[in-house]
Amino acid sequence: MSSTTTKTEPREDRETILRVEGLTKHYSQGSGLFDSIWPKPKVKAVDNVSFEIERGETLGLVGESGCGKSTLARSVLNLVEPTDGAVYFNGRDIANLSGEELRQQREDMQMIFQDPQSSLDPRMKVGTIVEEPMRAHDLYEGEREERARELLEKVGLDPQHYNRYPHQFSGGQRQRVNLARALAVNPDFIVCDEPVSALDVSIQAQVLNTMQELQDEFGLTYLFIAHDLSVIRHISDRVAVMYLGQMVELAETEELYENPQHPYTQALLGSIPVPDPRSKGRRGLLEGDVPSPINPPSGCRFRTRCPKLIAPDEYDMTEREWADVRRFTRAVKRRTFEVQGEAQLRSEFFEQGVPSGKAGDTVETALDSLLSEEWDQAETLLQESFAEPSICAQEKPDYTVETEHGMDVHHAACHLHRDGIESTANAD
Amino acid sequence: MAEPLLTVENLQTQFFTEEGVVRAVDGISFTVEEGELVGLVGESGAGKSVATSSIMRLVEEPGEVVGGTVKYRDQVIIDFEEGPDGERRPSDEMLSNKQMRDEIRGNEIAIIFQDPMEALNPVFTVGSQLKEFIEINRDVSGKEAKQIAIDMLREVGIPEPEERYDSYPHQFSGGMRQRVLIAMALSCEPSLIIADEPTTALDVTVEGQILDLVDELQDKYGTSFVWVTHDMGVVAEICDRVNVMYLGEIIEQAEVDDLFHDTKHPYTQALLKSMPRPDETVEELNPIKGVMPEAINPPPGCRFHTRCPDAREVCRRTRPVYQDVSGPEGYPHRVSCVKYESVGYEDSEPLDTEATAAFGGDIIEAQGESNE
Ligand SMILES: Nc1ncnc2c1ncn2[C@@H]1O[C@H](COP(=O)(O)OP(=O)(O)OP(=O)(O)O)[C@@H](O)[C@H]1O
Ligand SMILES: Nc1ncnc2c1ncn2[C@@H]1O[C@H](COP(=O)(O)OP(=O)(O)O)[C@@H](O)[C@H]1O
Ligand code: SF4
Ligand code: SF4
Ligand SMILES: [Mg+2]
Ligand SMILES: [Mg+2]
Repeated sequence: MSSTTTKTEPREDRETILRVEGLTKHYSQGSGLFDSIWPKPKVKAVDNVSFEIERGETLGLVGESGCGKSTLARSVLNLVEPTDGAVYFNGRDIANLSGEELRQQREDMQMIFQDPQSSLDPRMKVGTIVEEPMRAHDLYEGEREERARELLEKVGLDPQHYNRYPHQFSGGQRQRVNLARALAVNPDFIVCDEPVSALDVSIQAQVLNTMQELQDEFGLTYLFIAHDLSVIRHISDRVAVMYLGQMVELAETEELYENPQHPYTQALLGSIPVPDPRSKGRRGLLEGDVPSPINPPSGCRFRTRCPKLIAPDEYDMTEREWADVRRFTRAVKRRTFEVQGEAQLRSEFFEQGVPSGKAGDTVETALDSLLSEEWDQAETLLQESFAEPSICAQEKPDYTVETEHGMDVHHAACHLHRDGIESTANAD
Repeated sequence: MAEPLLTVENLQTQFFTEEGVVRAVDGISFTVEEGELVGLVGESGAGKSVATSSIMRLVEEPGEVVGGTVKYRDQVIIDFEEGPDGERRPSDEMLSNKQMRDEIRGNEIAIIFQDPMEALNPVFTVGSQLKEFIEINRDVSGKEAKQIAIDMLREVGIPEPEERYDSYPHQFSGGMRQRVLIAMALSCEPSLIIADEPTTALDVTVEGQILDLVDELQDKYGTSFVWVTHDMGVVAEICDRVNVMYLGEIIEQAEVDDLFHDTKHPYTQALLKSMPRPDETVEELNPIKGVMPEAINPPPGCRFHTRCPDAREVCRRTRPVYQDVSGPEGYPHRVSCVKYESVGYEDSEPLDTEATAAFGGDIIEAQGESNE
């Protein structure tokens, strides 16, 4: 991998190029979709995210659609104004820059956007497109064409293509034009938002290789966003995983993939289809959908789907009993079943019997409510008794865990690590 | 072996455009057996979507199915015969358009399109669309249709199906919309479902849920599938047999284990080598050189020769003929590459292309030079 050096150097010797502190972005107006359901509530797209990027490394950022990756990218570049928090580039808070410093920052930080089709002006020749940032920054006067041709060659295009229009290129080639444009004013840092997601695998590999070569040649630092975990594994030195606007895990690449410590990361990794029919296949699937970012769950945002949600302290249940109760609580909330009599309910959810004691009493009351078709009553009781009192709903988790691969810090925002106890990954 | 459920033979579909004839599907053949899940895999533009709409007789102007045979059990969906003037014309045995509508589509074969938003009408509720579809295709009352619709929504894992019945498509997430389409496809209990990249636009966690759902449905109803995808991970996960397409042709056809562990065609091999892996660290990717040429003007001889690391002089001149390279057991493993024929590949001079330069010889210099 390109910047392997950063991995072996002790942390103190590295130079932080970007520091993000408590970054938050709440959109005050819903997009079309949310507008029609809930008028004008705030969309909590990114909430209190902090991380650092070292010079010369690639930080991968991965997460499902809508979790806030693009919003984070735009906030880092100050393309959208953060609601809270700060971004320091080379030690300077970018919100407070002006004049020459602002110009310099805009030159040093570039971005490649998600969609290669729409990010290139169809009426402009690619030469003009690549020269655009040079003109904007008043740089390379008199040598722009020469530089543009050079850059086209660097990104693996024919310098003769200088006079072509974007539609004359394939998707992969268009993404190369984007790369050339991002490199035009010789930046240090490039935010790449899904740069290869729209490309076919064979073309994806070409562009990824080119990006790594350019990184080596120009000492670039990347914040590389993707939802494809294989791509992220390949390109990144360290990886950050986002869920519903928050960072849930951050570790060196090998460590994250081989020793994932957050249940969400484990579920993500478990759901990738492996390109080998002899592999064991997927495991640890998630139920349900990602909740709305307008009113995200309290405490740990993953708790409504977490297969390891922690039982409230007040109950004394075995693992199996808690698993049954957890499943029952969620099924009632999501209304995923029909009530067809008591025997059916009991055998569907409590095959080995309802737990004894206080937990069991609550479950019995909920079963009675269901049998008289009082769904809301059952749901409220179960939520108040089992979901809400859990530490997962009460406190926002933020822990570091022991690193097994490499020597970098491993962050995992999960209460299973609250006593410094290592959770048994994958044992479910 | 019993009769296949679906037989596709030498299917050809072309688009007659201003720039010329696009040979989008150029003589593909494959079968689907009862209860099987058959993959159709390839990069974008390979002809996968055109192939699926051809089978359903849904190709639109300026496109036209111009040759081949498609049979569903003993019903003839597509067939051609020679007219008195030597012209190729649709044969009399073919089902009429009305029969296709009434007897095949929905009832026997259901199709799930690439874009769920396209298949659902944004101005009607999800439930009403599902109900209408069931009423048209099954002989049931409106009330029964609604009940079936709700049951189907629950079956495919839509929470609170009674309430969600009255939601509009845009109020559903991408994964939920895809589930609705699967519910719709299943609601008329078809024997075959053709799914065109149904999970490509979805996140892995949602894709995983859908793949599991398909597994369950197959167990429960024995439904057969043609699954179109470009994701080799999905292929490995769910397919029984696989057809790999390149530029309008099926270039390799095998059982899934053979395709991955006894790969024959250089394109399939290159595809597998170019993928980053989720489960291991790959130091360096080996991309396939260049891009897929336009279907309007495919390269002569073997269509992959412009990008093939093993290409030799003979590949440029000789159109490969399907070879059966299978062992004694199981389904045939077919490949279309002159390496497996005796047409003088061994003695032929290597072609001098970027692809052969990068992979051939001992010096691995795959990095550093430009592509395309
Ligand atoms: N301008 C906006 N106004 C209101 N809400 C927005 C706006 N832009 C994004 N959002 C919402 O913020 C959340 C995060 O969106 P974002 O585009 O950052 O996600 P993403 O992780 O980049 O997703 P994808 O993988 O689909 O690109 C989503 O719920 C989205 O609907
Ligand atoms: N309406 C059309 N007019 C002209 N060419 C078309 C049309 N639809 C598809 N094609 C061409 O047919 C070929 C196969 O396309 P398609 O089946 O959509 O590929 P895939 O689904 O494998 O990505 C491509 O070369 C494409 O450009
Ligand atoms: S904090 Fe609780 S809900 Fe969140 S990931 Fe950890 S165990 Fe699951
Ligand atoms: S026929 Fe020749 S060019 Fe085509 S795949 Fe085989 S070796 Fe490669
Ligand atoms: Mg995005
Ligand atoms: Mg397609």
